[in-house]
Amino acid sequence: MSSGTPHAVHAHHPGFIGKYIFSTDHKVIGIQFLFSGLIFLFIGGALAMLVRIQLGWPGAQIPILSTLFPASWGQRMDPAFYNMLFSMHASVMIFFVIIPLLAGAFGNFLIPLMIGAKDMAFPKLNMCSYWFMWPAFIVILSSFFVEGGAGASGWTSYPTVASVTMPPYPGIDFATGAEENKSLPEKTKAALFKDSPAQPAGKGQILWLVSLIFVGVSSMMGSVNYITTIINMRAPGMTLFRMPLSIWAMFITAILQAMALPVLTVALFLQLLDKTFNTTFFLPPAGLDFGNQHTAVGGGQPLLWQHLFWFYSHPAVYIMILPAMGFVSDIIATFSRKPLFGYRPMVYSLAGIAGLGFIVWGHHMFQSGMDPRLGTGFMIATIMIALPSAVKVFNWLGTVWGANIQYTTPMLNALAFVSMFVIGGLSGIFMAATPVDIAIHDTYFIVAHLHYVLFMSSLFGIFGAIYFWYPKMFGKMMSEPWGKVHFALTFVFSNCTFYPMHIIGIGLQPRRYFDWSDFGFTRHLGPLNTFISISALLLGLTQLIFVANFLFSLVWGKKSGLNPWHSNSLEWSASSPAPHGNFPVVPIVDRGPYEYASPDVEEDYQPQARNAAALSGQPVPAAH
Amino acid sequence: MKKGWSIFFGVVIAGITGLTAVSPWMGWWLPKNLCVFGKETDDLFYLILWIVTFFFLLTEGILVYALFRYAGEPGRRAAYFHGAFSLELIWTLVPAVILLFIAFTQVQAWNRIKVASRMPPPDQIMEVSARQFEWRVRYPTDPKFLGQDALKENASAVDSWGKEAQFDDLRVVNQIHIWEGSSVRVHLKTRDVIHSFFLPNMRIKQDALPGKTIPVWFAAEKGTANTKYNDETRKWDEPTVDCDLACAELCGWGHYKMRGKLYIHKDREDYEKWLKQAKEEQDRHAVDSAAGQP
Repeated sequence: MSSGTPHAVHAHHPGFIGKYIFSTDHKVIGIQFLFSGLIFLFIGGALAMLVRIQLGWPGAQIPILSTLFPASWGQRMDPAFYNMLFSMHASVMIFFVIIPLLAGAFGNFLIPLMIGAKDMAFPKLNMCSYWFMWPAFIVILSSFFVEGGAGASGWTSYPTVASVTMPPYPGIDFATGAEENKSLPEKTKAALFKDSPAQPAGKGQILWLVSLIFVGVSSMMGSVNYITTIINMRAPGMTLFRMPLSIWAMFITAILQAMALPVLTVALFLQLLDKTFNTTFFLPPAGLDFGNQHTAVGGGQPLLWQHLFWFYSHPAVYIMILPAMGFVSDIIATFSRKPLFGYRPMVYSLAGIAGLGFIVWGHHMFQSGMDPRLGTGFMIATIMIALPSAVKVFNWLGTVWGANIQYTTPMLNALAFVSMFVIGGLSGIFMAATPVDIAIHDTYFIVAHLHYVLFMSSLFGIFGAIYFWYPKMFGKMMSEPWGKVHFALTFVFSNCTFYPMHIIGIGLQPRRYFDWSDFGFTRHLGPLNTFISISALLLGLTQLIFVANFLFSLVWGKKSGLNPWHSNSLEWSASSPAPHGNFPVVPIVDRGPYEYASPDVEEDYQPQARNAAALSGQPVPAAH
Repeated sequence: MKKGWSIFFGVVIAGITGLTAVSPWMGWWLPKNLCVFGKETDDLFYLILWIVTFFFLLTEGILVYALFRYAGEPGRRAAYFHGAFSLELIWTLVPAVILLFIAFTQVQAWNRIKVASRMPPPDQIMEVSARQFEWRVRYPTDPKFLGQDALKENASAVDSWGKEAQFDDLRVVNQIHIWEGSSVRVHLKTRDVIHSFFLPNMRIKQDALPGKTIPVWFAAEKGTANTKYNDETRKWDEPTVDCDLACAELCGWGHYKMRGKLYIHKDREDYEKWLKQAKEEQDRHAVDSAAGQP
């Protein structure tokens, strides 16, 4: 395949803005996504710390923090504020951290480099996809500061708690701040707002919807680019089945995004219309009652939102793990010094997970009031997703079996992915089983499962990918000793935080509860809740080690050289960092990416390109 | 430190295994089951638990062992193989069979609990309207709505009762009263947002949807009565075994405080006695307030 359209000799010398800010270079865009993703990781993490403080010590007055809470709240956390905390924690982590880091940062950075292309198929569209995130960032951050605070109806934003606009008391219109409201003294307004039985999800929710629409458009642009680039711009010799698993994963993930996101985007628009133009997509025919207020009659269905939302959000969870699975395969093969076990089964299992991922959304709705007869079909499809997932785990085990393992920081993080994904995957089987789900739905068992696949798997995968590809991005090495300290502490504290959630989940402690301590069936779970909270705070503090390592190494890190890990894929033949245009000549690929320990060569690795030695150094503009 | 990493992983895995093993003894486990179908769903949970535990120990064990045995040494070379078709076949087919087995064991229980046409004929009915932030329960007091035979005979009257309140209904907040062995049919509704009717000790959960009435059934096993009439206070005691009713779907700021209680009377007679007393109290208060008495 050709390596892409010939472009004019680079006579342009972009200034600072064109090089680092509005750049069309996929590597710069990838690093931009990386930085914004990491900043939001800390915002999402801070929200989680606040959640755990409340759950560890319900209703307590926390030192220092209590001075920030209003006197009218008794210097304690308020339940509505608490609802906002977990809603925004999840929203930020999903839409502003995990997806942008996996797809935006690493997808962008790696795809052209690993397939031997100069850049993406549509560099300007690529730049656009990053800059579309900025309105999303501004809108979501400003939602914390509007009247009523940020969205507090869960990241799932179910109607009708999220979608209703009507005021709880006559004459008070919170959405538009009507005239009759303005003459009331501030204290009265605050009191009325707080004491109303139905605080309608107001401005914060509207901003949430708008922000996510921008995120969706950004991702859809990105996925079009990735699919086109991977299909059309592979270097000569780079057949589909010689691509590293990272690229297969990004390819399949991009297809998932392209097909699922439009449904979420539509759903977001429908809810936005319900909230601002009084449409009734999600309002049932008889309308609703809040206190002695009655809404207009509807003609819609609250359940419709759930179908539309989960039709995207279930594939979304695979979007949030497939890339990490790809990275883990590449990292484990590299540091096992051994070929990846079962290349084709690994590809087919990625496809199997993605394909099945489209027909299981109803498992989020088993108890929803959806016809229960649909439950059985969704259950069977859901349980079967465990199969390709299990195949992947066995193939990773096959890769380390007989290996010559190098315990570098990236390898440790990748191994953590494997061992923790086993737990996350196995816990999913319980909730896939419909009768068992009756008891454990909306309990901490679900919270445990989701954190094992998102934190313990995806985030360890992201950490591994950052430690691994940092030299290629910045030409420097991160500190290995501090990387190992960060890994070890994160592994221990995260298990201490999230594993006990399975136990309180078996105790059926409900999720999204401001205070679990009053109920007979959860009162005794205090010690575990407190232990989880302490572990979570220690886990949060540990991440400062990672930040310090990341930032200090940018300036003071050891120079990495081309290929510090002796890895095979094409990016390791390019300079560190790679220049604009990536490769001075077109790479010619002779073999797959996992030729480690080959008897054909003396070295224990064999780069993919025949002309690997010529792929670094200053680029010479060449007509081709 | 090389082989030490495998020990590190091993210790953490052992720790979480240990925590799981001691949890039942510490009382951190499933709440007490009082429901006739609870044992079946708990057994299904345990089936999955044992199968999952086996594969957990197997895979983590192999991983930790491999991390130990194959910790790298300079000068050594890894084995050079790309895969093994026979292994792929085994570890695809065996899990597939086990997973399908798990799936098919679950189907009957689900249908019996959730599908309306499969629900047993009820001995008592009640309407639960989940609201922000309380459970409003409506009990029929007319004898034609009590007892299996009466309910069967008056099926169409039951339908209209479900749609419209009757003047002689008893309305109670946050209390579900049933009797041992009674097959209860709840007409679950809401008029504001989505809530979820969750009785942990009955292993039943059902979301309430605005615009829909959803049938829910459960039944307390014999011997589970938790309340009796107290001659001194002339009321029924608070349940001896905490049987909570909780909301299990985020419904607003008060989601965490929608606590109801389940009272299990020892027999139908005791329930009817309560029903009568509660109705009299409801009617008396209405009369008193009309006369201006507090």
